[in-house]
Amino acid sequence: MLPLALLNEGDIAEIVGCFDDKNRFFIEGMPRGLFRRGRGRHGWQYTNYLQSMGLRPGKQIEMINNGGQGPLVFRVDESRIALGRGAAMKIYVRRIQK
Amino acid sequence: MANNKETNSSSRNNMIIAVAGNPNSGKSTLINSIAGAKLSVGNWPGVTVEKNFAEFEFRGQHITLVDLPGTYSLSPYTQEEVITRNYLVHEKPDVIINVVDATNLERNLYFTIQLLELGIPLVIALNMSDETAQKGFFIDIEKMSSTLGCAVIPTVATKAEGVERLMEKAVEFAAGGVDHPYGSIFYGEDIEKAVAVILDEIKNKNNIEFPRWLALKLLEGDQLVAGEFGISTDAPFLAKATRHLKEAHSDDLETLMADARYSLAAGLTREVLKKPAKRKREMTQKIDAVVLNRFLGIPIFLIAMWFMFKLTFDISGPFSDWLDGVVSGPLTRWTNELLIAISAPDWIISLITKGVIAGVGAVFVFLPPIFAIMFFITFLEGSGYMARAAFVMDRMMHAIGLHGKSFIPLLMGFGCNVPAVYATRMLENQRDKILTALLIPLMSCGARLPVYVLFSAAFFSAYAGTVLWSLYILGIVLAVLMGLLFKNTLFRGEAPVFIMELPPYRMPTAKNLIIHTWEKGKHYLIKAGTWILAISVFVWFALNLPWGVESKKDSYLGRAGQVIAPVFEPLGFGTWEAASSLLTGVIAKEIVVSTMGEVYVPGADEEKEETPSIGEDIRQIVFSFGDAFVNAANNIFSTFGIATISVEEDEGTIGLKSVLVKNYTPLSAYAFMVFVLLYFPCFIVLIAMRHEFGTWKWAGVTIAYQTVLAWIVAFVIYQGGRLLGL
Repeated sequence: MLPLALLNEGDIAEIVGCFDDKNRFFIEGMPRGLFRRGRGRHGWQYTNYLQSMGLRPGKQIEMINNGGQGPLVFRVDESRIALGRGAAMKIYVRRIQK
Repeated sequence: MANNKETNSSSRNNMIIAVAGNPNSGKSTLINSIAGAKLSVGNWPGVTVEKNFAEFEFRGQHITLVDLPGTYSLSPYTQEEVITRNYLVHEKPDVIINVVDATNLERNLYFTIQLLELGIPLVIALNMSDETAQKGFFIDIEKMSSTLGCAVIPTVATKAEGVERLMEKAVEFAAGGVDHPYGSIFYGEDIEKAVAVILDEIKNKNNIEFPRWLALKLLEGDQLVAGEFGISTDAPFLAKATRHLKEAHSDDLETLMADARYSLAAGLTREVLKKPAKRKREMTQKIDAVVLNRFLGIPIFLIAMWFMFKLTFDISGPFSDWLDGVVSGPLTRWTNELLIAISAPDWIISLITKGVIAGVGAVFVFLPPIFAIMFFITFLEGSGYMARAAFVMDRMMHAIGLHGKSFIPLLMGFGCNVPAVYATRMLENQRDKILTALLIPLMSCGARLPVYVLFSAAFFSAYAGTVLWSLYILGIVLAVLMGLLFKNTLFRGEAPVFIMELPPYRMPTAKNLIIHTWEKGKHYLIKAGTWILAISVFVWFALNLPWGVESKKDSYLGRAGQVIAPVFEPLGFGTWEAASSLLTGVIAKEIVVSTMGEVYVPGADEEKEETPSIGEDIRQIVFSFGDAFVNAANNIFSTFGIATISVEEDEGTIGLKSVLVKNYTPLSAYAFMVFVLLYFPCFIVLIAMRHEFGTWKWAGVTIAYQTVLAWIVAFVIYQGGRLLGL
């Protein structure tokens, strides 16, 4: 198991789970609390935005672009998703194929 | 909320069709092919998210088509989600067309399932069916339709295939001619039991149009919705209903619901979608391998930007000049003649020619660059490159708390700040939009150039180029510093996580490009145009009142100049002439030069020219339009520099220069140029900000910080220079 951010370009892996903002590990669904997005009535709100973009435990992903720093790009189903490195360090995957 | 009243009597005279779907699902292309030229672009009330809508007749039925913002879910977190949700719940459209990207079924169905919870009749447009065929996907439409209980129509939006059938079905569903099992989505025993308890509790409440949806939202603990219906999320009946769920599953019922929906979407996808075992290496992947490359990414981006900048300003420049020439030349002359012919009083002639027509001219001059920039932005967005640009530039821009995409509006700012402010609408969230817009005026625009040219030619002729570049660089350095400052003050808190989808590359259709460019430009013309006109007339009055004022010094503007002049004393230019010139620079910074012409060298302006006949004028307009074309073409092909930023001198300013040399020292001249670079932006920029952000607040912040910044920097330069003995 390794963080998504450490996959090499071309690697295929399966998402295992991810950490939330309180460092709890989730293997069912994406926790709220990792990805802040948008501004609700009470300041910044948490959301499981990644989940609504099709990213969740059990999903296969393929690393497309990972330059070692800055955001990276991977593919899940037919969509390419660019994700900041910080968030990608909190998502854990199991490598299936190099 | 414009459609509020029509909703009730909808089925008879007006049918409301809402179009919803994921971003990049081809929604706007589909809407273009349905509504075409009838499409209008506006903003959702109070926010900067674009609202597209159209009214038209379809087979004798009056239809209002509303394009909801692209979202991945109906949770209440992003602006787009809230807009979509509020629209559906409060405006109650007669039918929803859900655009589903057939190549990305699972994720799209996750959203579809949430839409179905509302129980509004729903028709699925299974879009991009041609691309699925190319990929070798097979989708069982029959099965999909019967499982979800709604109609599924395959479409190819880019070729307008299936659109007719889609509309037929939508109208049929809206009119209620189809037995449609609403809310047939089943979330499993445990959840459904809890929902039943909540439904039982809320059934006596009035005004509940979507009971199942409300029950699900209460279950999730959605405070926004609960509050709207006057229910507390801590209500005892909710605790009772959800106790079992929380014990058996997890405390976080929102995640539990998301999971339940996702399992449904995933299950359905497995049922209806057959994928080939091997993936083909696609075009998008090949292009991305180059464009996103570690070493090539940034150079490619910069080249693309250079082309965009060049095309925008070099193509539009000659046309701007042409429009300016027509308005200030023939149009002003003819109006003048006409007014004299009907023996209008002198002040009316002056008001109309120097106030109204000059105002109209100011609006027109900005039209070509705004249309050009909107065209390229639409193109970049439609082609899919915009998202890559954001990715490539993200690391660099992150340092000053900005999003990668912010680079594009900032760069545009060097041409003209006005379209640059409008360009911020390509950014996703309000924070990025505002922060970027606040920094745009620090990018030295083309209108400031005449001031620099005049002063650097008068004082620094030997090294005018260096002086010029120092000003541009100063603007950039200050933008970085102010970016850091804003990031840590006004916009404190983490920048949102960088996450975005990179859509596949597609060639935008000409129709799409034209419609969106035209709509965005039209918007500017109407909204900003009226303001510009009003302020232009106001400034005319300031220059010409009180009645019969002889010298500009005694006009209201001159008096205001005298009052504020002492403020500029420590900066080295505390004269009423400088102060009033700076005041008029608010209209557009190049006006500083023409005002200086009037206040320093009175009467120089009024040389009499031969008045050409109308016939000559018309010939001249046509010829110069032709010239504009030739110039635009030359600008594109001939130079590798950017024509907009080149030093040209006006011939008429020689007299002015000699006066300036007497009134300024090189040091105070430089301080003055710095002040012009930084002091508050022209009011067209402020109006653009008001227009984009729906409030004067950010325009106010810009005025305040820039004026203070300008004063401080000019002060440091002038006083520092004097200390050094310059």
